[in-house]
Amino acid sequence: MGITNETKLPTEEELTVQEVNLSGPALKAAAFHVGKVCEWENNEFVLCREETKDPRQCINEGKAVTSCALKFFQQVKKTCASEFMQYVTCLDKSSPDQQFTPCRKTQAVFDKCVLDNLGYERAPFDYFPRVHVHKTERPKPEPEKPTVYPEAVPGLPEDAPKPPAKYGGRYIFQW
Amino acid sequence: MSKTAYKQDMPPPGGYQSINYKRVPARTFFGGWAIIGGYIGMTAGAFYLYSLNYKAVKNRELEVHSANLALYPMLLAERDRAYLKQIRKNRDEENKLMANVEGWETGTWMGEPIYKTQPKDCFIEPNFYDYYVHSSYKDLKKRMITLNY
Repeated sequence: MGITNETKLPTEEELTVQEVNLSGPALKAAAFHVGKVCEWENNEFVLCREETKDPRQCINEGKAVTSCALKFFQQVKKTCASEFMQYVTCLDKSSPDQQFTPCRKTQAVFDKCVLDNLGYERAPFDYFPRVHVHKTERPKPEPEKPTVYPEAVPGLPEDAPKPPAKYGGRYIFQW
Repeated sequence: MSKTAYKQDMPPPGGYQSINYKRVPARTFFGGWAIIGGYIGMTAGAFYLYSLNYKAVKNRELEVHSANLALYPMLLAERDRAYLKQIRKNRDEENKLMANVEGWETGTWMGEPIYKTQPKDCFIEPNFYDYYVHSSYKDLKKRMITLNY
């Protein structure tokens, strides 16, 4: 494995936070709300991941994402638990691939409950594939510089004479 | 030979009916231009209905895609933490396993690094077999099957 002892890795304690222990239908049921409520954290984390291409440097951003989502789910559990579970059950059992189409009625009930109690509106159905501009304080990482080879052969000086080839080129029909 | 009364066989009075050899074409409801116009009209109508259906299906797919994109950062954050934990476990396991081998340095071949042009702190994701090298063959195979199918 290419991971040496010099490679800095975060410790187990740094990586252990309370995770969102929910199954697929529950996550899908709340996807549009969670994505809208935690939009800034999500964009920050994904921007960090795409810029640095390094999971070690985006641990804190990832923790912010998880804690935001967890906070939302706790709020839902406090206020709209029965509506949420109704919608989750519908998504889970109405189609083999958790389609949204058969569950519009329970979805409307859940959306109304979240809007009334928590004040979060459901994002439009095509909100997340749209292009969004994200403003961040984090500095942009330096682009990778070209490799410098210390033992490289030095080039010709600028004013070196370059006479035309004495016997022409080596290749025939190639200029 | 006795005499026989002959009776000349003659056409019926008024003559034979005329032989029915004329073509009787089917009744035409539409002319050629009407058929071409109707074809174009029906195709246009069908295309309109198809486009309605197409948009509805595309929007349904777009909604699923949108939900997946909304959940992606959360799942990625969770996955990153689990991944880094496992990488650290793998490194500790290699340190323990190769403690008795003289000159062995973890992540290198006897001190010769795999990526010699990269800085020492560079994190390059290990490939599949490197990641699963300390696991049991059963787990490796299970993961391979789920990856491939």
